Amino acid sequence: MTPWAYIPQLISAGITIGAIYALVGLGFVTIARASQIINFAQGEFVMLGGVITFFLLKRGGLPYPLAALVAVISVVIIGFLLHILVVYPLRKASIPILLMATLGASIFLSSTSGLTFGTLPKALPPFSGNQSLQIGGIFIVPQSLWVLGATFLLLVFLYLLSHRTLLGKAMEASSTDPLGADLLGISRNLMVFLAFGVSAGMGAIAGILITPIFYTSYNAGTMLGLKGFIAAVLGGWGKNSGAILGGFVLGAVESLSVAFIPSGYKDAVAFVILLLILYFRPKGILGSPYIDSRRW
Amino acid sequence: MVDSNQREFRKRDLFYVVPLWFLSLILPDPHLDHRKESRFRWRDLFYLGALLLLPLMWPDTHLHHLMVLAGINAILALGLSLFLGYTGQISLGHAAFFGTGAYTTAILTTRYAFPTLVAFLASALAAAALAYLIGKPILKLKGYFLALATLGFGEIFLVIVRESPNLTGGVIGIFGIPWFSLAGFSFDTYLKQYYLIWGVLIGLLLFSKNLIRSKMGRAFLAVAASEDAASTVGMKVAQIKIGAFVLGAAFAGFAGSLFACVMSTANPEAFSLSLSILIIMMVILGGMGNLYGPIAGAILLTWLVDILGKYQEYSLPIYGLILILLLISFPDGIGTRLNIRLIYLISYWGRKKRRERVEL
Repeated sequence: MTPWAYIPQLISAGITIGAIYALVGLGFVTIARASQIINFAQGEFVMLGGVITFFLLKRGGLPYPLAALVAVISVVIIGFLLHILVVYPLRKASIPILLMATLGASIFLSSTSGLTFGTLPKALPPFSGNQSLQIGGIFIVPQSLWVLGATFLLLVFLYLLSHRTLLGKAMEASSTDPLGADLLGISRNLMVFLAFGVSAGMGAIAGILITPIFYTSYNAGTMLGLKGFIAAVLGGWGKNSGAILGGFVLGAVESLSVAFIPSGYKDAVAFVILLLILYFRPKGILGSPYIDSRRW
Repeated sequence: MVDSNQREFRKRDLFYVVPLWFLSLILPDPHLDHRKESRFRWRDLFYLGALLLLPLMWPDTHLHHLMVLAGINAILALGLSLFLGYTGQISLGHAAFFGTGAYTTAILTTRYAFPTLVAFLASALAAAALAYLIGKPILKLKGYFLALATLGFGEIFLVIVRESPNLTGGVIGIFGIPWFSLAGFSFDTYLKQYYLIWGVLIGLLLFSKNLIRSKMGRAFLAVAASEDAASTVGMKVAQIKIGAFVLGAAFAGFAGSLFACVMSTANPEAFSLSLSILIIMMVILGGMGNLYGPIAGAILLTWLVDILGKYQEYSLPIYGLILILLLISFPDGIGTRLNIRLIYLISYWGRKKRRERVEL
C-alpha cells in the first residue's frame, strides 16, 4: 500500500489536531490584539485544562460536565492571576524581559502541575463512545466531531464578542490605537486582564477537547503552545481568521508529513514551516494588520 | 542598553536592602558610561585577584566543578550579551550553537583523533558558520518573531541531533571525549580546568572590551538604539546584526568545545531550550549592554541551579518562581543603579521618620 492511500485518513486526523492549534493560536491573538504582548504560557492553559478535568473526574468524582466547567473556571482564574502577578508588574518592561517572564511562568505552571497531579500522561474518556464512524472510507472518532463542533461554537462566540459587544470593541480599540483608547476612557489594563481570562478559557476548553484523543502529560503544554503560535503566524498574525486557517493548515501538513518522512522528524516540521513562512511571507497566508511585508 | 524604565521607589525594595548593599560593593553597574568600561579600573584588579585565589582558598572539588560550569556559562552569556545586550536582538536558540561547538569537538577528537586545540578552534568556526547561514535569512525579523524563529531553529537542531545517530550518537550522545590538552599538558582536574576556562573567559572579555570600543561595537549600540536612525547615517544594519550574531555563536562554540572536554560527553539533553532560557536570564540579570554583568549573572544562576538541584522534584517550580521574582524585582539587571536605589531607600526611611514626627 503506498503512502498515498493513507492521505484522506491522515488529513482527517490533521484537521482534528488543527482545530486545537487554531484554538491555541486564537488565545495568542486575543491577548496580542489587546496589548501586543505574547504570552508564552498559553500552552500551559491547554495542559491545565485537560489535567485538572482528569483530576476532578477521577479523584474528585465529579460528573463529567461539572468537572469540565470547574476546570475551565479554575484555568481562567489562573490566567487572571498570571496577568496580575507577572504581566501587569512588567507592563512597561522591554520585550526580552516579558518573554522571559512568561516563559518562567510556563516552567512554573508545568512543573507545579507535574508535582500536584502526577507526571503520568492522562487520558479522559471520550464524550460519546469509542465506536469510530466510517464515512466514505475514512474512520473518524466521534470525539473529532466534538472537537470540530466545539471549536466552531467557540469561534462564533469569539466573533460575537469582538464584533457585537462594546467590550470586544473596547479590546480592539485598545490594541489599534492605545492613546485614542486612553482618551475615550477605556482602561487598557482592564482590557488586557480580560483578554488573559478569555484566552485562558479557550486554552482550557481546547485541553478538555483534546485529552480524550491525545494523551496530555504535564510537559505537553510548551509544544502545543508553540505550535499554536506558529499556526497564528502562518495564517496571518493578529487575525482571528488567520489563526483558524493556520491551525488547520499546520495540523494537516504535520499529519501528512508522517507519510513521507520518518516520524522522529514530526516535531521539526512545524518549525521548518515557521522558518519558511517567516522568510518568504512574514505576514502570513491571509495577511496581517500588524506586519508590513516590506519592512518589519 | 534597552531603554530602561526609570522606576520610582517601591515599598517592596525594603525587603532586599541588606543583600543589595552587599551586592553593590562587588557587582558591576551596567549603567556606567561605556567609555569607562574599557579603561583600567582598580575594581578589575580586585575581580582578577578574587578569581585567581578563589579555588586555592576553598579547596573543595564541588566548588571547583561549579565554578568550571559557571565559567562555561559565563562565556555563553558574554557572547549573547553582544547580541542581546548590545545589539538588542533576542535569540532563543543560542543553545544550538553551544551544541554545535560541543559536537564538533566530540566528533573531531573521538572519530578523527584531532588534537583538542584544533578541535577547539574548529568548534568556534563551525558555530560561526552555522550562525552566518541561519542569521542571513532570519535576522530580518524583530522582537517576538525573531525569538520564535531562533527557538524554532534550536528545536530543529535538537531533532536533527536526535535523529542522526551515525553522526552524533542520537539520544545517547558521544562518550569518551579526551581532556583538553595543550602541548602535552592535560587539564585533567577541576582545578586545572578552572584556570583554563576562566583564562579563556578573560581573553574573550578583553576581546569584547576592545570590540565595544571599536567602530563595530559602536554600531551595535546604534542598532540597539534605533535601526532606522542607524541605517539613515549609512550603517549596514543587516550586516551589523549578522556580525553580532556570528560573534555570539563563535563564543558559544568555544564554550561548547570546553564543555565537551570537561564533561567528556555530549548528549542532546544539555542543549535544550532550558539552557537558552538560562543564558538569556544571565544576560538580563547581569544587565543588558554590559560585559561584567553577564559573568556575574552566570555565576549567580549556576550557583542557584546547583542549590535547587538538592530539592529534587521541587526544583523546577522554585526555579520558575525565582526567575519571575528576579525579573519583576530587577528588570534592568541586578547591578543597575544599585547605588541610586540605595539612596532612594535611605531617603525614604528619612522621609518616613520625618512624616511620623510631624503627625505626632
